[in-house]
Amino acid sequence: MKSSPLFFLGLFAALALSLTALVLATNAQYGGLAPYADITVGAAFPQAPLGLAARGQMVYQDLGCAACHTQQVRRADFGSDKARGWGDRQSVARDYVHEDRVLLGDIRIGPDLTNFGARAATHGLDAAHLLAFLHNGQGAMPAYPFLFMKQLVSGQRSPEALMIPGSPDFELMPTHRAKALVAYLLSLNADHEYPETRQQAAKPEAANEKKPAAPGKPAESAQPAAPEKGPK
Amino acid sequence: MTTAPTNAAQPEVSDIDTAARCPLLLLIGSALVWLVIGGVLALMASIQLHTPEFLARCAWFTYGRMQAAQETVFLYGWGVNAGLAVSLWLLARLGGAPLRATGLAAIGAIFWNLALTVGVAGIFAGDLTGSAFFQLPAYVQPIMFVAYAAVAVAGVLAWTGRRNAFTFATQWYAVAPLFVFPWVFSVAQVTLLFAPVHGTIQAVVAAWFGQNLGALVLAPFALAAVYYLLPKISGRPVRYYDYAGHAFWVLLVIGGWAGGRHLIGGPVPVWVATTGIIASVLLLFHYTVVGVNLSGALCPRGSLALRFAAIGLKAYVLGGVLNAVTSIRAVAKFSQFTFFSVAQTQLLVGGAFTFMIFGALYFLVPRLAGKPWPSAALISIHFAAVLSGLVLKVGGLFVAGWIQGGDLNRAAVSFPSIAGHVRMWLVAATAGEALTLLGSLALALNFARLLVVRADKPAAELFRPPAAMEVPVP
Repeated sequence: MKSSPLFFLGLFAALALSLTALVLATNAQYGGLAPYADITVGAAFPQAPLGLAARGQMVYQDLGCAACHTQQVRRADFGSDKARGWGDRQSVARDYVHEDRVLLGDIRIGPDLTNFGARAATHGLDAAHLLAFLHNGQGAMPAYPFLFMKQLVSGQRSPEALMIPGSPDFELMPTHRAKALVAYLLSLNADHEYPETRQQAAKPEAANEKKPAAPGKPAESAQPAAPEKGPK
Repeated sequence: MTTAPTNAAQPEVSDIDTAARCPLLLLIGSALVWLVIGGVLALMASIQLHTPEFLARCAWFTYGRMQAAQETVFLYGWGVNAGLAVSLWLLARLGGAPLRATGLAAIGAIFWNLALTVGVAGIFAGDLTGSAFFQLPAYVQPIMFVAYAAVAVAGVLAWTGRRNAFTFATQWYAVAPLFVFPWVFSVAQVTLLFAPVHGTIQAVVAAWFGQNLGALVLAPFALAAVYYLLPKISGRPVRYYDYAGHAFWVLLVIGGWAGGRHLIGGPVPVWVATTGIIASVLLLFHYTVVGVNLSGALCPRGSLALRFAAIGLKAYVLGGVLNAVTSIRAVAKFSQFTFFSVAQTQLLVGGAFTFMIFGALYFLVPRLAGKPWPSAALISIHFAAVLSGLVLKVGGLFVAGWIQGGDLNRAAVSFPSIAGHVRMWLVAATAGEALTLLGSLALALNFARLLVVRADKPAAELFRPPAAMEVPVP
């Protein structure tokens, strides 16, 4: 190899190839993916997290929760995701269109959280349960005591505060960050059906061939039985 | 065909080394400081995996941040600093001329490390991005891009100003990361931080960046060193050298695509994962050729540098094969989302890259400083500790990942049960991290002593016979 220009041209071309495919082509393919306007219920899905829950995602990110938890459900025949009750359907690209920072996660030291809010509702877990869980920890999940402030009970006990066993004069007040994180976790619910997910359900054996919905304008559900053609 | 570096006959001590002394020793010293810091952080993160309450009462040291910080310190602190030093040294040596733009390189090195320090503090404060291999906060990344480019200028000048038009495999592998990193780093910065792409395209870009950082930046730095050290030290040829060019270009063209294998079954277009799988399998050609080319290093015959390089080479080829195997969907079903993939990363970065670079440092530092390594005992401790540490941590994580993968696929097994099943193996991995840290301390101490002790003989006298270059003074 003697020619420097040729060598650097080769380097340039080699990198440009994967860049074009994985960065530019994916962006062209579904960078414009929009929420699905479901006229049967008169709302667009997924719904954007609001207020406290939106701030909670930043807490989720800054505490590095994604180092132990994923937020992606794999299809029923690929792992035990469905059997564990993490979701009835595979996660699709449309589920993430509102997220500023997509945190899919790459290891499951703890359970998947894609549909945590829906699971919590099913099991009757509310914010108070989750705050207690955050404070005490369980199993491989450590306690997060720094998300709480110990304070003297003045007058009536705060309804949000956790009690401290053996210290009736003190209570543990969740910080704003703790409340935001819990609101975020309870908002996690990606079970709405989209055309592409119905297509998965119809053809489970080919489910992984149909991932994100077609890009471009928001999908309409005038004919929900006729799914969009997903990219290959 | 037998091929050795084109200027192998050059004097062992020359102006080429002394001219590069300041920036390169700065890069190497910084790398070793980060290696020790990274070792401490890795040990603490490893303890938290089986003892979750360890240091968890402080927000700064939660596992998520600790893990992100240790990974960042290892990749950007140890990996990039050491890789750049080795690359610049090799390019100057094989270019046959003293390094130019050394002042710029030194300034770049200083700013790189200052920005990294701020960035790691930022990660502990909660400013991590959340993308693996790309955790540094947005406010330090542009500075690091410029700083890297400043250091890389010296390497590119050494390439363009080389005395021989013909180039050796070492030079291709040494110069490629100087070009690849600024490109992929800047693309990732724009598309993930400053004008973020939408939805799960972020995950695709992050996987692409991570793959490029590992396979097209760190790995080439290390391979450049072994392609140089093998013929230089042993006098043995690079076997089937004619294929080395093919292996290089296969890595460059296909390497960047393989990141998609991490997204198998994920909410991204299926072709991203499929091309990742195909690329991982095609890369077996690269690993095979590199393994055959450098197989001479597998019989180090007393050469210290080659002993490290041999282990690094084995880890590199094994890591490549495992990447291909675990990218197959039937295997990914078990290995995905487990410690198995952590072990694979450890094998390639903590094993392959790190050991090959250790070999290079043992060879080049005495030449740069004009002094031999002061302590043979510390070298023995380093070798024994990092080797046993690597076996324990990678072995422990592989077994833990294997058990975890089986358990995760059985819905009836709860997470506390899985934690109980893998605990023993995670403790073994912690022991491995502790040994690795001990080894890193030995190397850093030896380096510090080398800098402060005075050579009692002129450098030329110490280093004239090639073999004496790397044999420590007892």
